Amino acid sequence: MPGNAIEVRGLSKSFRIPTVRRETIREHLFGLFRPRRYRRLQVLDNVSFDVRRGETLGIMGRNGSGKSTLLKLLSGIYQPERGKVSVYAPITPVLELGIGWNPELNAIDNILLLGIAMGLSRKEAGAAVDEILAFAELEAFAGLALKHYSSGMASRLAYSVAFKAVCEVLIIDEIFAVGDASFRQRCEDRYRDLAAQGHTVVLVSHDPRPIQTFCNRALLLDAGQIALEGTGNEVVRAYLKLLRAEQDPELEEKAAG
Amino acid sequence: MRLRPTENIAQVDLPGLLWTLVRTDFKVRYHGTWMGFLWALLKPLAMFLVLMTVFSFIFAQERNYAFNLLLGLFLWDFFSESTRTGVTSLASKAFLLSKTRFPRWLLVLTSPSNALVTLAVVCLTIVFALAATGRMPSLVALGLFGLCLLSLIIIVVGFSLGASVLFLRYRDLNQVWDVVVQAGFFVAPVVYPMGIIPEKYHFYLYIWPPTAVIQFSRQLLVEHHMPSLKAFLMLAGVTVAILGIGLLLYRRFAPSAAENL
Repeated sequence: MPGNAIEVRGLSKSFRIPTVRRETIREHLFGLFRPRRYRRLQVLDNVSFDVRRGETLGIMGRNGSGKSTLLKLLSGIYQPERGKVSVYAPITPVLELGIGWNPELNAIDNILLLGIAMGLSRKEAGAAVDEILAFAELEAFAGLALKHYSSGMASRLAYSVAFKAVCEVLIIDEIFAVGDASFRQRCEDRYRDLAAQGHTVVLVSHDPRPIQTFCNRALLLDAGQIALEGTGNEVVRAYLKLLRAEQDPELEEKAAG
Repeated sequence: MRLRPTENIAQVDLPGLLWTLVRTDFKVRYHGTWMGFLWALLKPLAMFLVLMTVFSFIFAQERNYAFNLLLGLFLWDFFSESTRTGVTSLASKAFLLSKTRFPRWLLVLTSPSNALVTLAVVCLTIVFALAATGRMPSLVALGLFGLCLLSLIIIVVGFSLGASVLFLRYRDLNQVWDVVVQAGFFVAPVVYPMGIIPEKYHFYLYIWPPTAVIQFSRQLLVEHHMPSLKAFLMLAGVTVAILGIGLLLYRRFAPSAAENL
């Protein structure tokens, strides 16, 4: 199906960060007569782009450049402040999932809970439990409460659930940085299957390799704005340049001068 | 084709998610066993024995005091436990809220499920006990008792809808509510009979919803005395008002819930 899966127009988001945060009724009562000071943190500033159906769009950017906020806005978990996100196809968000668990429940119950919350029916989720555990290579720990899992095991499980519950559009955050080589290989194989089936993917990564390998188009986010829209290779080059400039500003100035 | 915002997520299997949330909540609370559930019943029963020992001397000439205390205590326990879990129902499921998109009210709706299971078991036991001792209430009385319980549940859900989104902004709301609940225990006629309070103050006690529910339940089940239509309408009014306010607060604050976690 041709056309756009997601259209983003003039999207802005800022967070009001009080210099002294008031989180309780007590603090509000005692602070009633003191003026409140805020710092406004502009996380995204007038961002516009399209995600075409069937493509894999890469997004790169340094820490704090607004990547995660952008993904949460695309997934509808955050509300836009200004601008518009138009979504034309169902989305599965896979956002830093390593911490998305109920620590008291074992792997099977967590798979059911997360799988159904992500859109599987109860039957489908129940039938997929074994497959998901096998994909994550965690069959031996199925009955173990998640609080006893290592962070790597927990992330592997999360991505395995997400890869089972895929809607038409898949939004993934840093997936290819999780797990050992064989798990990464399985993720990449699964990703290739999905892409071949015509799924649309928005892929965020710090790692140049997946962006170069999988993305024919990519965005570079810097300080909440799109610094560059281009092919995966172009964006990776610009990103690496940004990183070098950050590490050694003087060197970069000399090179520029 | 442009999808409406509710459609741009996967269609969630609502009954499946509801059941899974209820089941996992039960598992976490009682370690997945009915023994754990029975163990949890011991707490209000112990409380009943203590209060019974102390107050049965004071209210020795009250008829049905032990029964009224037991019924009041379990109704009160349902109210206090379910509203407490209701306040934190969204915050305690932050792990789902910040990662996935499904109707969030489902978390609020399922939060009283554990307390509800306890209440159901206790109510059935009480009705069986009444039947066994030949004091079975009429079907009309049982139906009206069911309506009282329904309105209590709606009050709890309405309160939880509003309080759960406010809690994300005011992180000591649960402590404030704990104090209110502690004071409210003595506003509702749980340990004392309503009769010792002068008639002119009754109206104010009835504004506190558990009072009405507890009193009506006692009148219907053991005293075989029908509360007036006016009293029922007042309870219905309070129920609708609390649900309405809760829904308004929820609609206002729920969309930004994930941003305040």
